[in-house]
Order: sequence, then structure tokens, then C-alpha cells
Amino acid sequence: MTTSSQLSEEQRDVLQELLNISMGQAANSLALMLDTRIDISIPEISAVTPNQLYDLLFETGDLSYTRQSFMRDIHGEVISIISYSGLSEIGALMDYDQPLSEEDTQEIILELSNILAGACLSGLSEQLKLTTNLNMPLLFQPDKASFDGLPWQHSLAMEVQFLITISSFSMRVIFCLDDESLSRILGTLDVYLK
Amino acid sequence: MSLSVLIADDSKLARRNVVRSLPLEVDFAVTEVTNGQEAVSLLADNTYSLVLLDLTMPKLDGIDVLERLQALENMPNVVVISADFQPEKQRVVKELGAKFFLRKPLKKEDLTAVLSELGYL
Repeated sequence: MTTSSQLSEEQRDVLQELLNISMGQAANSLALMLDTRIDISIPEISAVTPNQLYDLLFETGDLSYTRQSFMRDIHGEVISIISYSGLSEIGALMDYDQPLSEEDTQEIILELSNILAGACLSGLSEQLKLTTNLNMPLLFQPDKASFDGLPWQHSLAMEVQFLITISSFSMRVIFCLDDESLSRILGTLDVYLK
Repeated sequence: MSLSVLIADDSKLARRNVVRSLPLEVDFAVTEVTNGQEAVSLLADNTYSLVLLDLTMPKLDGIDVLERLQALENMPNVVVISADFQPEKQRVVKELGAKFFLRKPLKKEDLTAVLSELGYL
């Protein structure tokens, strides 16, 4: 079975570019909704074990976490890490009453996860001609145990970051795939490598 | 005489797509770079007719490159080819002198139309 550590440089380059195109679509959706400019990072792709994924995700700071599973042609999970800082400005741009209630804050976090992770996943699926269904996001608190319980031992972490210029808001989106889905994706990448 | 083109994009796939999308009827002399810093260095010492510029790149991004190009006496024609097509980004790059903005994934017909507008075809 193919594992993410066997990703060639060319395959990594193709995945990175496809993800970059998907992120552009995601940023545009959010920019139109908030009527502001979003800065996007260069996507990073790495092979990680659940423990390494935990280290990748876990940062000290005032952060909120969501996870969304996806299925059909490929299976995996999208984890979004969202800063609480800057969220009230985002809420204002989304016409929420200030100050934000706890319920409103959660709603905004889930909405942002859904828009950005959803647009990234659908962009990636469309380019790879794969069908995927994304489930609704759920808030979660990361602890080592929840990562030990992930259904894969090797996963491909595709990490992207969105920053909003007018506030201190930032969000990272990490896609995790199991080995079988990775093999499927690598198979479909061949068309780009010709 | 060939037409000197600088392609700046960190992705090999994207650079290959650009090269493949160049119309065959023009003799292009293509130079490729993988980040904005290399692009700025080459543009300082060489004359290019056309720059095909990505925005999301390491070291210096495409907007940084455009800002530095302002100092050049003769600014080449710059066409931005980017996945980041937010209206605000398009406005900024046009303000900084880019002639056209094309969305990734690049379509051959879009590049051909732009090159025609610029008088290369």
C-alpha cells in the first residue's frame, strides 16, 4: 500500500498546486461574503502519524478546533484551527450583534470552517474528478487521546492558512487522509504528471 | 527574433502549464524561476518583454515583485496568473501595473487572448 512518506517530489508539487487553486476559490468565497481581503499561505504537505498531527495542531493560545469528516471516493477528515482573536470583527462583518454571545461565536466558527474547508475540499475533488461528501463540522477539544484514536496510522496532512488583513483573525485547515484514499489520489495525479 | 518571457511560479506543474499554453506561432525564449526573489534579481539585470507572474510564492510573493518593478525604468508587460483571484487582489495588481489577471488553472485560450491584446499575436 502506498503511504504518504512515499510521495515523490513531483506528486507533492502537483498536490500543492491543486490545493493552492482550491484555496484561492475558498478565499474568494470568504472574501465576497465578508467584503474584505484574505491572505492565503503556500500550502504545506507533510506525511504525519497521529502523534505528529497532534503536535502540528496543538499550539498554546486562544484557539478553537473543528473537525469534519468526508467520504465517498476518498475518506478523511478536515481539521480547522481558528483563532478566537479577531472573531468579533468577523462577526461584525457578518452582521452579528456585538458583543458576540457564546452561541453566536460557535455558529461563526462552524460557518467559517464549513465555508473554507468545504471550498478547499470541493476544489480539490473537482480537479481530481473525485466525488466527496463533507459532513457538518463539529467543535472539539484536542487531546492526545482523540488523536491516538484516529482511524489511520499514516496520514497526509495538507495544511493551508488564511489570514484576514483587517483583523488578527487566522485559520488553518488540515486535511488528513487514510492510506487507501491517498493511493486513490496518487492514481488520479498521473494525468497531471504526463 | 524571439520574445523573452520570464515565468515565475513555485509550482513545476503550473510552470509547465504556462509553457504548454504559449502559442506555437511565436518564438518564445522562456526563463523559469521558482520564487519572487529570483524574479526580481533577473528583472534587475535583464530585459524581458513579458513576465507571467504567480502571486502565492515563497521569499517574495507576486505583489512584492510588482512593487519592486516600479523602480525599473522600463517595466515589462506583466500578466498575473494566480489561483488567488479575489477582487481586491485583482485591483491591487492592476494598480501596481499588471496588464492582465488570469485565473488558475490557466486556460490556453485565455493566455492566447491576452497575448493577442498585448500585440504579440
